[in-house]
Amino acid sequence: MKHELRMGLAALAVSLMTSVMPAKADFWSDAGAKYKGVTLHGVTESTPPSNYIKDVLAPAFEKATGIKVEIETTSWDQMYDKAIKDMEAKTGIYDMVYIEQDIIYAYLARDFLVDITKSLKDDPSLKAPEYDETHFTTFANYFKNADGDLFGIPMEAFIKLYLYRTDLFNDPAIKEAFKKETGKDLVPAKTHEEYTQIAEFFTKWGKDHNLELWGTTAQAHTGHPASWYEFFESIAPTFGVYNWGIDASKNYSASVANGGTMNSDKAKAALKYWLHLRDIAPPESPASTWTEVGTTFAAGRAAQGLVYGENAAWIAADAEKSKVVGNVGVALPPLAPGVMEDAEAGKGYIGYYDGGAFGLPVTSKNKEAALLFLQYIGQDSVQGDWAVAAPRITNTATYDDPKVIEMDKKLNGYYTMLKNDGKLFAGAPPYPFHAQVREATAPIFYKILLGEVSSDDGLDQMAAAAEAELKNLGYRK
Amino acid sequence: MRSNRVGWLMLAPTIAILGIFGIVPFLYVLYVAFHQWNPFGANPYMIYNGADNFRRLVFDNEFLTSIAFTLKFAFFAVVSEVILGYLLAQLFMREFPGRGLFRTIHTLPLIVAPIVVGSVWRLMTTPSIGIIPYLLKSWFGYDLNIGRDATMAFALTVIMDIWHWTPLVTLTLLAALVSLPKEPFEQAQIDGANRWQIFWHVTLPMIRPAILATVFIRLMDALRTVDEVWMLTGGGPGAATRYLGLHIWKIVFPKTDYGYGSATSIIVLYLTLVMCWLLYVALVARRDQKRPS
Repeated sequence: MKHELRMGLAALAVSLMTSVMPAKADFWSDAGAKYKGVTLHGVTESTPPSNYIKDVLAPAFEKATGIKVEIETTSWDQMYDKAIKDMEAKTGIYDMVYIEQDIIYAYLARDFLVDITKSLKDDPSLKAPEYDETHFTTFANYFKNADGDLFGIPMEAFIKLYLYRTDLFNDPAIKEAFKKETGKDLVPAKTHEEYTQIAEFFTKWGKDHNLELWGTTAQAHTGHPASWYEFFESIAPTFGVYNWGIDASKNYSASVANGGTMNSDKAKAALKYWLHLRDIAPPESPASTWTEVGTTFAAGRAAQGLVYGENAAWIAADAEKSKVVGNVGVALPPLAPGVMEDAEAGKGYIGYYDGGAFGLPVTSKNKEAALLFLQYIGQDSVQGDWAVAAPRITNTATYDDPKVIEMDKKLNGYYTMLKNDGKLFAGAPPYPFHAQVREATAPIFYKILLGEVSSDDGLDQMAAAAEAELKNLGYRK
Repeated sequence: MRSNRVGWLMLAPTIAILGIFGIVPFLYVLYVAFHQWNPFGANPYMIYNGADNFRRLVFDNEFLTSIAFTLKFAFFAVVSEVILGYLLAQLFMREFPGRGLFRTIHTLPLIVAPIVVGSVWRLMTTPSIGIIPYLLKSWFGYDLNIGRDATMAFALTVIMDIWHWTPLVTLTLLAALVSLPKEPFEQAQIDGANRWQIFWHVTLPMIRPAILATVFIRLMDALRTVDEVWMLTGGGPGAATRYLGLHIWKIVFPKTDYGYGSATSIIVLYLTLVMCWLLYVALVARRDQKRPS
């Protein structure tokens, strides 16, 4: 009797569960029913995480809800052109736009974006049961306003890290040659001097052995902002020059004379260091943007380099695209004395923490349907496969996903580094005038790269140009 | 009176389209040019600033440098295209095996979008990866690096433009050559004129309208080139290939300085008109004045 009673209770429990489960699983089809036939349009940069949205998440969402999603992946410049023009002209073409971390302040200042937190509070019927803002990593804070409301669903987050070739660093003949030449063990550099020494060694090694091998990468395009960004976001901070050398608390000063650090001794030392690395990097470096740097490393042409984390997975694991699969080590960037202490104390940072979110323009004509999609890509359940396909982690639970743990081994601990040391990196400074200051100073920067002006004079001119532009924009009084 | 009405009625769609897509935007750009307007400035709204933007242009070194580079680019590209186009048109006037195939292949660049042309040339010229640096290194020991060598970057933008647009010149001049009457040539041959004299005194004057039209079209195109160059060099190295179109694009889009960008556009339009007018006066009006009545 007892056994029968147990069986009966079990059957009741199973039937109750099966009657409840579909209700939860069906949230997407129920919520999507109202918007069936709607087509959402999004624009984003063509990056591995964005391509995953386009190829995997958008079709999956369409299957679950009946709402069609068309994601346009394009170049970084074109993406901003299209998104800003659309929001500025209020044409309402796009229902989702990619917001890179450094543009969010400009978008918030212009009220371009819908407050996602508030919208979901105002209409709870749109709130997906699996979506929870508190599940995001602290990177989501970049996309919040002063009240803590979220304006973008984080969809990629990575650090620009120091990659090195483990096969070369562990090669006995190379190790011996390095020891003989420098008196040191060949290990990933911790200081700029060590990094330079390793770079010089490998460039010479490549030349002596007739190999297509150089000592470092350099994102040093002479006509593209990628070089400007490499210097101000990845190199200058490692010398203790933060926030592009502009101090907002001192009337947006850039020059040392007015309280800024753009032309400080540290900035000048950083630029000289980087220009030397550029000179011993592969010949394509003066024509390299962020994409080509990843390609150079994947082609096995550089022994070490600073590479955006979004490229780390395919470089380390995709044999169809990369020649260095299984031979990629990760480390923190080399630093000047005091920088790590600054970062740990929250006064500075050691490198660039980049990423972006998908935001909903206020001009969208399909806000409710877009909110559903944004929650769909923000759920914990879709994060694991996404992180494996493209190395980005935006939800804390993703770190514990077995697939991600497995991938972390292949990447020699990249995810662990992101989890443990991500706090030492920082995104772009919270200024709403990024492109404006960049474009005002970049022509001088390109002249420095071409040797038309010395690095010291060039930085002085850039600091003056930045201040003039900030005055013109009305920020500097 | 009735025919006038019908005429205006027939013209109405064209006038409407021209008005909506040509005149209204032009007037708007003109209006914006007299304002300071950067949506990412501390004050994101339009502020009337008189002729300040135009005054700023006169002292803007980047703009002046950009004009100089653009004129140099336009000169080399257009002159080369006209000479090459004419030679190819003359070649296509003759019978030779495979003429049809060669003409088709020669015309193919015209159907390729400029942005694609820029991408292909970028792939071909990227140091260490592209085929052009590879061949130049293998054959002549020359290191082509458009990221560092401003002269080569400039030359490559000209060569790319020539590759892309010479077929247009060839087709236009070929059409003009085909339509020429035979009699003046036969008369010149009877009179004992040599090939150069026939070219200079017969062919050239007769196809002058076609050459002028082609030069005007190509000149205006060359002065506003953006996408190919943007893709190939990004305006670099430094400002070596930052031609006017690209310069304006950088002011208006990444920098979002709409007022200043509008003023620059107006001045560039004015410069283009002046240059075309000067060319017209130099090549047509003076010659017409000299002609005996």
